[in-house]
Amino acid sequence: MQVELNGRVALVTGAAGAIGRAIARRLSDNGASVVIADINREGAEAYAATLPDAMAAVIDISSRDSAEAGVAETLARYGRIDILVNNAGVNSFVHRVNIDSFPLEEWERITRIDLDGLYLMSHAALQPMVKQGEGGRIINIASVVGLAAMRLQSPFVAAKAGIIHMTRSMALELGPQGILTNAIAPGSIMTEGTRSLFYGADGKFAGRTAEFMRHLPLGRPGTPEEIAEAVLFLSSPGAGYINGQVLAVDGGWTAGYMM
Amino acid sequence: MQIELQNTFVELRGEQNPVTAAILDALRRNGATVGAVAPVPDILIVSLPLLPVAGNEPAPHLQAAREAGEAMFARGSGRILFLVSAAAGMPMRRHAEFSVAMAGVLATVRTMAMQLGPAVLVNALGVGAIGEALVAGDAAMLGHASVKRPGTVAEVADTALFFCDPLNSYTTGQLLSVDGGWSAGYGRNF
Repeated sequence: MQVELNGRVALVTGAAGAIGRAIARRLSDNGASVVIADINREGAEAYAATLPDAMAAVIDISSRDSAEAGVAETLARYGRIDILVNNAGVNSFVHRVNIDSFPLEEWERITRIDLDGLYLMSHAALQPMVKQGEGGRIINIASVVGLAAMRLQSPFVAAKAGIIHMTRSMALELGPQGILTNAIAPGSIMTEGTRSLFYGADGKFAGRTAEFMRHLPLGRPGTPEEIAEAVLFLSSPGAGYINGQVLAVDGGWTAGYMM
Repeated sequence: MQIELQNTFVELRGEQNPVTAAILDALRRNGATVGAVAPVPDILIVSLPLLPVAGNEPAPHLQAAREAGEAMFARGSGRILFLVSAAAGMPMRRHAEFSVAMAGVLATVRTMAMQLGPAVLVNALGVGAIGEALVAGDAAMLGHASVKRPGTVAEVADTALFFCDPLNSYTTGQLLSVDGGWSAGYGRNF
């Protein structure tokens, strides 16, 4: 897909990670100026240097000050924000346990980043976006676990469900101002993390991977580029009447029960 | 929006209206060949009735879609896009039968996605208040969208292109509505 994003400024959080990098590149390829926002300075700077018109911003989305500072840096360089992609998030790969054993500190760390962080980043980016008065786009990267719950990762599941419903309330609040908010719910996507988890030598879930893939209509994990394609569409002028929608890009995982 | 559809055969089944005309135009502009010229199309657009009037039964269209889906599955590739009312995801009080029918179409989309994967991708595009005369259901109800204008046929056509985009290859069994936020929730200010 090729769309017209010339003159648009997009801020992508978690943009040093695999999915964030793919999103940033796709937006850049279609003419947007892109802010590579990440807590990982080295990764953000290295990736921004590969794009024709991009800047790195070190943002810890769980910090209000950091989110606001990142938006201020963006405005200093580009003067506006048109598209916010809330992609940054974390899960626990260590504590895969039931809620009765789930450590409070880990619960707080995950929900602080995944849910509070999305609020803090949106709150900061909306200040200029609303003031610009020209509308805008917010694309929240949720997860299929926000649509269909899973065991052993209760804070991630709760935060992603929160993101999905927050997307709808943001859509209702911001729609009259022409700011459209939608969510993408990725299924299992092949990134560094899932590759080592499912397929790596140390992947303790490797034995279950084949069984899991049999429960997906498309029978394979998705790619970061497939998520990026959906983000590109929702950022495009043609998606101007799509608001408050949650699109699962999940190989059919949530289509139904595949036993 | 541009996508790459050279050597792609597209067929439309079901109702023809300004939305389907815009979609077929957009597909042609992107290189697709439209019409019943291939034994099994690469992309099948199934256009369901957009207005809740008696006699607008989706059943014959669903049967045709299932048959085409099986042929695509046997060949090993294909895409099916159902054009439905946004009421598929949100029933409307004064249109019970229409809402039930649309929900049934959505269940068909989801089960077909499971049965026909990984060869065939099956999705639905929910149409909200589009244009002035053409509305996918009840104009008064669908007018309660947070985006304070009706959508355009071009916006529906671009969304259809997204579902036909060769690079959008991991989306199946999904409903994406072009409804300005109508199905997102209640838009009251208290």
